[in-house]
Amino acid sequence: MKIIKGSARVLGDEISTDIHCSTKYLPGKDTAYMAQHAFEQLAPDFAQSFKKGDVIVAGKNFGINSSREQAVHVMHQMGVAAIVAPSFGRQFFRNAINNGMPVIECDIAGIAGGDVIEIDLIAGRVVVAARHITHAVPPLPAAVQALLEAGGLIPFLQKYPDWNLRGQAS
Amino acid sequence: MGHTIAEKILGQHAHGKPANAGEIVVASVDFSMIHDARAGNALKMIEKLGAGKPGFTLPHVKRTALVLDHYSPPPNREAANTHVAMREFAEKHGTPLYDVGDGICHQVLPEGGHFTCGDLVVGTDTHSTTYGAFNVFGTGVEGTDVSAVMLTGKLWFRVPETIRIELKGTLQPGVWAKDVTLTMLGKLGAEGANYRALEYCGDGVAAMGIDDRMTLANHAAELGAKAALLEADEKTTAWLKAHGAAAPKPVKADADAQYAQHIVIDVANLTPQIARKHLIDDVVGVPEMAGQKIQVALIGTCTNGRLDDIRQAAAILKGKKLAKGVRMIVTPASRSIYLAAMREGLFEILTAAGASVEAAGCGTCVNITGHYIAGDKQVVISSANRNFKGRLGNPSSEIWIASAATVAASALTGCVTDARTVAGGDWRAVA
Repeated sequence: MKIIKGSARVLGDEISTDIHCSTKYLPGKDTAYMAQHAFEQLAPDFAQSFKKGDVIVAGKNFGINSSREQAVHVMHQMGVAAIVAPSFGRQFFRNAINNGMPVIECDIAGIAGGDVIEIDLIAGRVVVAARHITHAVPPLPAAVQALLEAGGLIPFLQKYPDWNLRGQAS
Repeated sequence: MGHTIAEKILGQHAHGKPANAGEIVVASVDFSMIHDARAGNALKMIEKLGAGKPGFTLPHVKRTALVLDHYSPPPNREAANTHVAMREFAEKHGTPLYDVGDGICHQVLPEGGHFTCGDLVVGTDTHSTTYGAFNVFGTGVEGTDVSAVMLTGKLWFRVPETIRIELKGTLQPGVWAKDVTLTMLGKLGAEGANYRALEYCGDGVAAMGIDDRMTLANHAAELGAKAALLEADEKTTAWLKAHGAAAPKPVKADADAQYAQHIVIDVANLTPQIARKHLIDDVVGVPEMAGQKIQVALIGTCTNGRLDDIRQAAAILKGKKLAKGVRMIVTPASRSIYLAAMREGLFEILTAAGASVEAAGCGTCVNITGHYIAGDKQVVISSANRNFKGRLGNPSSEIWIASAATVAASALTGCVTDARTVAGGDWRAVA
């Protein structure tokens, strides 16, 4: 979890995950169906060609106006290792952490599809060596790291029902 | 350095003193809510939490309400079965349950006296910001979060920065809180306050009744706000007392609190506003759109389905008929509003004018009940909160968003109409 290395898969700005990565508007379809079709209206073949361990690199406000945590379940099913974007929609950001998906707020200028991207969550660094890009990002707060390490809020509470976020406010 | 209302409420619930924006806290939650559109997910999460744990209990479950409002009444078998599961859960755990027709979560929670000033409340709905009208930090979360609250009574929060919005002067008759929230959407853009809390203050807020204040806090969700907070005054505490809430613990911002932004709106000179088709932040003054034809008029939802909205609509339509070719549906936000409107004779006025009244619930807001689907190229004017393409089931129709006053005046004439230009459009409750 501490260092994530994967191939960048690029998406645009202001993407609603309710619309493009959940079945909110597709009654009768399930998470498995969505994992085959996520984001296809924005980038045809995106889900089909997605490989386990790839990193989504998106534009600003990724997940904006999205409330469904199912979007994160879909991304887990696709094999998304992490999401890097300059900013996230509030509810999506929360759902990602609650469901064990690393979300990194970072400038994405210059990163292209297929680039190998390396993320150090503890040191707070995003590196694309081939393009000589190194961004310092604020390290994730210890509380968020604890939730991500556990795999999300539910596994965290199964382990620590007393909310022991290791050094964080109890 | 002073603190905002959001920093104080979250901090008090986490470590007994104000928190700072940006801090992550684990805070005690006073009350939580799950509605029927997210209950299926939440019940799955609770199952996961209890998996392999014999004797598993949810110690804080009695401070969670289950509300059957989105699929009210249920349009299909799946929704009906979710309702059955929710009723069984409530029965088993002794949780408060609001059934089909009782009303929308954001209305029945305050009416049920479930929280008071200074509280921290979460719900599985983005419009949980509504509780801020009562000086409560209310915010939208997901099923996982409410499951955690039922188990531990606590939840983690990133403490938001706050935008302070001062409303100078008092609204003219015919101009409502909705016109203020639409103005804010035009100014900041949809999601323009993403991650942030709002604090509304000033004479304009003080002069508003509780119904209008709830609109102010509710419609902050479209700005992306995490919470929208008002200070408490005598109106707030009297309302809460009348609804059986616990003794209030009002929280005020410090004079030297740090804000991300200060905004001042001269509401005394505000004209009625309208969001045009598909985009909630494409906002213009109603007079500019005069003449735009409409075919469907909807009054309801957690944003504007309250008694003052229905009173205003009845004042405009009393003794009149809807314009030829216009259909109108009124959906009260709760059963108690429904009853009050009946007692006041408002439904007789509206029904005689040609409108239909339907059971309390979320029906006219989004096409999940198949409650109202407009035809191709038809224009809907609605008092709801969102208008993206297809929200009411037909992407070839349009939804325009305005106050209940503007909706009723437009239903009367058949065109987008400034309520101030029609008889009864200046109705306002004497606070």
